[in-house]
Amino acid sequence: MTLLAGAGMGVIDTGHQQFESADRDLWVTAGETRLTTAGGGGFENSLYNSRTVASEMESHEDVQHAIPMAFQTIYVGTEPTADFETFVGAGVSGGGPSVQVTEGERFSGDTYYANGSYDGERTNEILLDEETAATLDVDIGDTLYVGGTLSAARDTEVTVVGFSPTFERMLGTSTVVMPLSELHEATGETRTEPATFITITLADGADAETVQADLELSHPEYQIQTNQEQLESVLQEQALVLAAGAALVVLAIGAGVALTFNLLALVVYQQREAVAALTAQGVSSSLLIGSIIGQGLAIGFAGGLLGVVLTTPAVELLNQIAAAVVGFDGLVQTSSDILLGGFAIALVVGTIAAIVAGWRLSRTKPLDIL
Amino acid sequence: MSPAATSSSHPTEGDRSPVVYATDVTKVYTRGSGPGRVGKLLGRPEPPSVTALDKISVAIDAGEIVGLAGPSGSGKSTLLHLLAGLETPTAGTVQFQDQDLETLSRRERIRLRLEHVGIIFQHFHLVDSLSARANVSLPLVELGMGTRKRRERSEALLTRVGLEDRISHRPGELSGGEQQRVAIARALATDPTLIIADEPTGELDTETGQRVLEEFKRIATDRAVVLASHDQPTLEIADRIVQLRDGTRVEATQADT
Repeated sequence: MTLLAGAGMGVIDTGHQQFESADRDLWVTAGETRLTTAGGGGFENSLYNSRTVASEMESHEDVQHAIPMAFQTIYVGTEPTADFETFVGAGVSGGGPSVQVTEGERFSGDTYYANGSYDGERTNEILLDEETAATLDVDIGDTLYVGGTLSAARDTEVTVVGFSPTFERMLGTSTVVMPLSELHEATGETRTEPATFITITLADGADAETVQADLELSHPEYQIQTNQEQLESVLQEQALVLAAGAALVVLAIGAGVALTFNLLALVVYQQREAVAALTAQGVSSSLLIGSIIGQGLAIGFAGGLLGVVLTTPAVELLNQIAAAVVGFDGLVQTSSDILLGGFAIALVVGTIAAIVAGWRLSRTKPLDIL
Repeated sequence: MSPAATSSSHPTEGDRSPVVYATDVTKVYTRGSGPGRVGKLLGRPEPPSVTALDKISVAIDAGEIVGLAGPSGSGKSTLLHLLAGLETPTAGTVQFQDQDLETLSRRERIRLRLEHVGIIFQHFHLVDSLSARANVSLPLVELGMGTRKRRERSEALLTRVGLEDRISHRPGELSGGEQQRVAIARALATDPTLIIADEPTGELDTETGQRVLEEFKRIATDRAVVLASHDQPTLEIADRIVQLRDGTRVEATQADT
């Protein structure tokens, strides 16, 4: 039950946490921003000429950074002849000021862009999240081969310069981070420079809604949204997912109640003849009901405790499977509320089931059973 | 009024005072509910009824074993249930130590069974999740006996039936014969004056059945025992046999006199 509830809550919460962890003030998109699991997960890229648009927006006095970000499935391998795996490649402009680096170094820059000529010096640098590094069995300083196609990947050698959890947390999937120009080059999109969105970090003290209104006025063709609006617009596209998440939570509670009730009813049913024999012997209904309630409490407590203890490792296992299959990390999420709820249902429903079953049994004439 | 003082006016069949006696008991079972007033007006028939016992009289003395014999459906179990106060007769009376069971409330009959009647079933009916000792202790809990005394008494009873090395075992860990001996110990827990046994060896092989019957002989020294069985070797331990057929008593024999 806790696992099912955890899956439901995880589906609902995943998107929200990812946007919160992105730590941005405004989001600029060109229409709908669809979540996709295709090619390992990520968003669709529909904001073209992103560099120019970002530059224009950054000229606003209250905008500290306007950073185009693109997410594109790319091939990554440890050897040019080895099997390549697909990951979401995140492209960030500049030195990646919005990218948190937990170990190693930031990019030395996005020099290949060279004001749109794409003839600057390539950094050939890449950042990985730690899970991707573990998957590929590489460390800082190791060489990888990346590209939008297999042939491009075999020819493009890059060096791991650091570890970054930023996009892995944001997208919920294993991600490699490259300078935006080098990602566009790797995927053959330098001409249109598509981005998934432009994220805007405001200057200290700036009012998000005022800047939002200004930018909407100057760039009416784009949607400019706050964190919450952006989340809602993404999740509106995922109504089915949300409904499934909510259904899972309801199903978890319903199934937990039904299973606990049935288990106790079965336990009591199996003892009906022994109970009837004791009733015939003169043992009172209150003693027998008390004994059955004691069993209900004991079974509910033991079952609830076992469920709570097993939930955490089971969540870990399910998340690993979910990450491997659908590309989202942390899809099943548990919390103390879910664990306490599961334990409470086991205990309370177990006791109520025992009371009902015991009462029902005590009302039956022993000779009808024996 | 003691049973001894009144035994001559009751249908006793031995020299000892009766613990329980049934006088002209009839038990009729009705299948389904009656038609009701409206049903009667509409001409609905009365539901069919079956006479399980028809004017049976029998008295059981302390210290004797009475066997109830007869084919299936002859009324053995019904008579056992009436003698134990589990059911009340449609007609006639059942007196337990001179108390007419029909005059007692349901609660009083339950208390009487707890204190004075031990019941042993063919299928043992022990609580699987409890140890042999806890199974024997259950009726003593109802009597309000303290934990230590319950433990001592249940262990003494299990020792008495030869299960001193099985005290902590659960029913699933015991053989059929051992389970039946636990059931006997449970029936003896409240030191009853009447033991009722319905096919007590029905689930046991011959050798195990004989050992259980030896227990019956031992426990019958100071109390009345009524056992119903199809099995002739089981009935051979009885002092008297009451033969039933189609709810009527057809003969009574002295088994070992």
